[in-house]
Amino acid sequence: MDKFYDGLENKKFIASKCSKCGKVFLPPRKTCGDCFAKAAEEFVELPETGTVKNFTVANYRVSERRERKLKEPIIIGLVQVDGADTAMISEVLNIKPDDMKEGMKVKVVWADRIKGHPKDIKGFEPIGGE
Amino acid sequence: MEKVGIVGYYQVKPDLDAMMSPPEMIFNAVRGALDSAGLKRKDISTVIGCTNDYYDGKTISNAFKVDAGGAYMKDESKVEFDGAHAALYGVFRILSGNHKLAMIYGYSMPSCFNYEAVRILELDPTFDRTVSLLNSYSAGGMQMRAYMKKFNVSLEDIAKVAVNSIKNAAKNPSALPEAQRSDISVGDVLESEILCSPLRKLMYPILCDGTAAIILAPEKQSLKITDNPVWITGVGNCQDTYYLGERDLSISTSMEIAANKAYKIAGINDPKKEIDIAEIFGHTTCEDLILAEAAGLCEKGNGTSLLDGGPALNPSGGTMSGLTPCVCGLTRIIEAVKQLRGEATGYQISGAKKAVATGQVGFCAQNNILYVLEGGGN
Repeated sequence: MDKFYDGLENKKFIASKCSKCGKVFLPPRKTCGDCFAKAAEEFVELPETGTVKNFTVANYRVSERRERKLKEPIIIGLVQVDGADTAMISEVLNIKPDDMKEGMKVKVVWADRIKGHPKDIKGFEPIGGE
Repeated sequence: MEKVGIVGYYQVKPDLDAMMSPPEMIFNAVRGALDSAGLKRKDISTVIGCTNDYYDGKTISNAFKVDAGGAYMKDESKVEFDGAHAALYGVFRILSGNHKLAMIYGYSMPSCFNYEAVRILELDPTFDRTVSLLNSYSAGGMQMRAYMKKFNVSLEDIAKVAVNSIKNAAKNPSALPEAQRSDISVGDVLESEILCSPLRKLMYPILCDGTAAIILAPEKQSLKITDNPVWITGVGNCQDTYYLGERDLSISTSMEIAANKAYKIAGINDPKKEIDIAEIFGHTTCEDLILAEAAGLCEKGNGTSLLDGGPALNPSGGTMSGLTPCVCGLTRIIEAVKQLRGEATGYQISGAKKAVATGQVGFCAQNNILYVLEGGGN
């Protein structure tokens, strides 16, 4: 995961690749479950764009301490970055819930302060700034 | 597989806040199970508990349950998945030939911890837990969206299944009272609060305190204890990857594999026709359908057809009768046992001979287990 975190620090997506089947994992994985092969020997840089594979409009937010009802719902999506074979969980920003569609093309929105941390990914927004 | 008998069981009535200590809850379940079979503590040779360190707020959470669980100076161990997995451990113990009586209990008290918040600790700490977006509601919402889209199932259809479960729960005296609503309508479900779209509140179970216990024995021993045992004739379990972004959430491949293993062991060729009762542990109503379909009880995407015929889907109400973590899979087994023994007073499915009961653990049912249960000749 170090390479992934380091990549975030430079506003880049670094994914890992299975040494056997070539599947590209983002977030990276040490091993490929299907091939039972190492998946952290080769890394690839992926673009800032991707596709919303699935989403939910969430009225609740849950932390390690509590669940709380949100005043304004947030959109939580499974976003597959272009070139990756897996999707990662992220917020979808700058769009109304009613306008959300699966298959929508999105691009990353980086956090204002980058720390080499998963929260550097503020979310993804529709391409074209709808 | 040599048959393993279920010779006794007991459920402590679930409660939103049981106002009992954990040892009291466990004692009542274990004592009740022994009494149901006419047995004494000295008859038990092994005890398997299902508890969770995070839910209990301490490590080795079973250490404090030894006396209440009947395990004092006995062979004892713990499973931290679901009660149904603890039962599998018990089945292993019995089939090893080393034990003649296994006590299995499950326990948790969600009135003492926030289940949804604790589930965050199930998440991958390197990414998902840190971004803190994935939880039971959001995972359930995305799973439901995937299922509805892939199989073109409407929200109304899933609401009908929720209504069926809630009405069934109303007939089940062992259900959580707050979960029992005989007057519920599809409109009520659709108009209930949206947790995470499209998941409605009335498609999500109510968490409650509870305990349950079952007693397992080898075939010969079972017949000495009771003339009405229920037989475990097959069991299968399967683990999927953790990562939701790598799975097709509209189906459950792990349940399909688990079920096929269990059917092969039990000699079930056509579960749609041969199974009478399906007690399914789904975290949401939609997940009930996905798991029932994966278990081969109906065609994929056609789970709502179970309301019209085929195996009876969750006659007890399933998880909509109240969900107690660590107990729910055990409750599914007990509810199937009641049906097969003709003891499901008020919600008995007549002529029930064979049943399946499922357990699970993990987001969107990452790990699934399925039992094939057969009546002993009532």
